[in-house]
Amino acid sequence: MNTNFSRLIGVFALAALVQSARAELKWEQTSVDLRPAFNDKQAVAHFKYENVGNTPVHFKSVHASCGCTTAQTQNEQVAPGQKGEITATFNIGGRTGTQVKTVTVQTDDPERSSIVLTLKAVITPLLEFQPTLVYWQNGEEPKPKIITAKANKDAAIKKLDVSSSTPDFTAKVDAGSAPNEFRISVQPRDTTKAVYATLTIKPDSPANTGNMFSAAARVMPSAPASKSTLSTIRHDLATPAATAASPSQ
Amino acid sequence: MKASAVRQALLLIALAFVPAIGEAIYFRDKVSWQSPIPASELVTVDQARSWGDNVIWVDARADNEFERDHIPGAILLNEDRWNELLPHFLGQWSPERKIIVYCSAQSCNASREVAKRLRDEAQLKNVFVLDGGWEEWLKDKR
Repeated sequence: MNTNFSRLIGVFALAALVQSARAELKWEQTSVDLRPAFNDKQAVAHFKYENVGNTPVHFKSVHASCGCTTAQTQNEQVAPGQKGEITATFNIGGRTGTQVKTVTVQTDDPERSSIVLTLKAVITPLLEFQPTLVYWQNGEEPKPKIITAKANKDAAIKKLDVSSSTPDFTAKVDAGSAPNEFRISVQPRDTTKAVYATLTIKPDSPANTGNMFSAAARVMPSAPASKSTLSTIRHDLATPAATAASPSQ
Repeated sequence: MKASAVRQALLLIALAFVPAIGEAIYFRDKVSWQSPIPASELVTVDQARSWGDNVIWVDARADNEFERDHIPGAILLNEDRWNELLPHFLGQWSPERKIIVYCSAQSCNASREVAKRLRDEAQLKNVFVLDGGWEEWLKDKR
């Protein structure tokens, strides 16, 4: 009995020795939460590691979950005791809300050959619109329709400038029912022909560095849209015609 | 007798927790962040083909992937350049046609994000996600 017990202890001790001889990357954190400012173009996460084992670790691959994220290692090989980091850069683009991107790291560590690093970014845009499209059926009464714009409260936006790409629509901006809210009232001149306009919306704020937003206004073709009808829709994006500015809030 | 049955049930529950906790620890970095798409919002390539011309295809992949190849007639609308691309898409949209958004593969998230924004922000109806994305489209073409 005692001999068996001693053998068992011996096996455990041997296993512990083997364990201590392995390479091991210890990560400071495998998940990073970021809150980029509304003007930030990128969110960067640093995943720090240390080789706490006593043999080198090699990175075999570092792969981001989407094309919008790039990941870089400082070294291909991490010597025992060496520290380093993997930098994940997430290009925000036009994304909003909670974005979760992952970076999969493959190493030659037999115990943990793959690890998933997670970057979570909460993106609050400068402005949010609803809806981004207003449209009228052909022949519908040309009453104004409302686009609600909600501004980021930290941006201190006092005014919005809205311009239509064609003179077929007019746009007027008023203060909304809540603070930091605007009502963009869009109206077609007539609804007897199919027309389309891009509404370019520029917030007037010291914090805003040339951000522009888009919405669209349309009068639909009279019959179900065919390819030829769609191609006849006037689509002049180059000449802003109708411009409106909001009162200060 | 009854007490013994309860004891056994509790023991089984406790035993079931052991692998569950082990799995939670082992897969702690592999949490799925993608909520499943409701079946009513997913379409297969076959279904999509059966809709014929009554479809607007939306390519939610990055610009370079779209440039390399895309479903014939698809409109590029990705979140990298959402503000620039959205007006062009809205100019092509018509309420009679169904919208099918696709990205690279089953695992990508871009199509569901774009579909969600079209529903929520542009308030469009009949917006679907292509099951399996571009990869599935290519398989079906072969």
